[in-house]
Amino acid sequence: MNIRRGRTAIVGTGEVPTGRFPDRSAIEIALDAARLAIRDAGIDKDEIDFVIPTTAVFSFQFSNELTTCRLVEELGLKNVSANATVFSGGSSSTNALRIASALIETGRARSILFVHCDKLGTGVSAQGGIDLFSTAGISMEWEVPFGQHYSTVAALATQRYKHETGTTDEQLSAVCVSNRKWAELNPNAYFRKPLTIDEVMASKMLSTPLRAKHSNMLFDGGAAFVVTSADHARELTDQPAYVLGEGGVVTHFAYHQEPDLTRFGWARAGRQAFLEAGIEPADIDVAEIYDSYPIYQLIAFEEIGLAPRGHAGRLHLEGATAPGGRIPTTTDGGMLSKGHIGAGGSVSLLVEAARQVMGRAGPRQVPGCRFAVETAVGGTYMDAQVTILGSDVPRGRPA
Amino acid sequence: MSGATTAPARPRPVVQPWARPFWDSARRHELVLQHCNACNQAIHYPRVACPHCGGGDLGWRRASGRGTLYSFTVVESNAPSAFIADMPYVVAVVRLDEGVQMLSNVVQCDPGELRCDQPVEVVFERLDDEFTLPKFRPLR
Repeated sequence: MNIRRGRTAIVGTGEVPTGRFPDRSAIEIALDAARLAIRDAGIDKDEIDFVIPTTAVFSFQFSNELTTCRLVEELGLKNVSANATVFSGGSSSTNALRIASALIETGRARSILFVHCDKLGTGVSAQGGIDLFSTAGISMEWEVPFGQHYSTVAALATQRYKHETGTTDEQLSAVCVSNRKWAELNPNAYFRKPLTIDEVMASKMLSTPLRAKHSNMLFDGGAAFVVTSADHARELTDQPAYVLGEGGVVTHFAYHQEPDLTRFGWARAGRQAFLEAGIEPADIDVAEIYDSYPIYQLIAFEEIGLAPRGHAGRLHLEGATAPGGRIPTTTDGGMLSKGHIGAGGSVSLLVEAARQVMGRAGPRQVPGCRFAVETAVGGTYMDAQVTILGSDVPRGRPA
Repeated sequence: MSGATTAPARPRPVVQPWARPFWDSARRHELVLQHCNACNQAIHYPRVACPHCGGGDLGWRRASGRGTLYSFTVVESNAPSAFIADMPYVVAVVRLDEGVQMLSNVVQCDPGELRCDQPVEVVFERLDDEFTLPKFRPLR
């Protein structure tokens, strides 16, 4: 196994608030995020030699502008050799980081800017969002005709997981409460008022057993990050976020093809990532877990090794994942409380993982955060992507 | 994005040519599954080549029409526009006795009585002149 541990690093992140901004154009949001990331990295903009935008689901026109180099022109980047969109739905950030790291390691690029922006809060209506996500990533022949959409997708996993593990609705709701406690500390989060389990369990039923407050909501927002070689990272900053390991498993396109809706590909993806990073799940200080619905946070949390099967719900209920808990989890509030901005769900989580490792997470900073694990998923939970970032590069325990 | 004044028509399957026998059979109230003659496995949904062995020698076999509810959900609100009038409706992943999984609806049931792993059998519901959808009901 060719270990790439710690050869590249995130050196800067930028993020704008998640919310409803009808008067702000998508390009304005994208440029704000990009400029914040460049400033945070302390890098000369003309050192950026490769730009990776990702797709904005709300607008083909805007996405196409990003694909055709609008960011390079608007930012006035003078030394860019290539601009290429990387898009895999909710796992776009992980795949962008993976490709960026490979380009840097092979000398094809030196410093890469990744940018995401979407306007799913004001760019589409509420029912338009439901309808958009009743076909996006869903088989037009085998699922759409039966009324499949993202609430049913999540509900099907939730129902089976409850059946197999005995996890309760109260425990599922505790995920929402835990993530909200973090969002209360995040000025970029949309939902910042305290939330109780009773409020979650009293909210409108969408698709049994999934309720309205178990569901993410769609918003406008954007974020960006800069990746460079580990050597250059140390010239730019005292504390880069080293890319220590990653693992991925693609399991399906059509949701009903997934053989185990209570596990997906997380176990193998997690093993790959931890092996490459040279650490164990017990070494993790912060877990940024993809949380478009509570069920997915519980499954990934367990399958990558942070808790035994069927125990994650209880840990969330006991407060282990909340501020001050034993394993701080989804510390930016996640899609459930910060808000869902399309591919940006896991962009936010990756940016937050980098901030925690770099010691720049403000009131959410987990003291002494050395290792962070982040997970990302696209489509109808079609893949399991795991990234481990660290404040240093552990030696020993080579694969 | 339009108001709720005119509901869009229910979406029809967007059919690939190699899956046509499935839909033609469903119109005759027969559930058929693609079958690989090389590795002797049932395949669903139909593929252009066997997803197990990659072989192209594929045929069709009539299925038992029986299986179990791997998972299910009752849609009570926030459905896609074309399905708002159908609420509450049940979406389910059915594990057929032939060893493949299928997404469908459970009908002719009390949704509150459904349980994971309970036996179900196929029924057919006409969508229009061209399409009849295979759905499932609790096995009696």
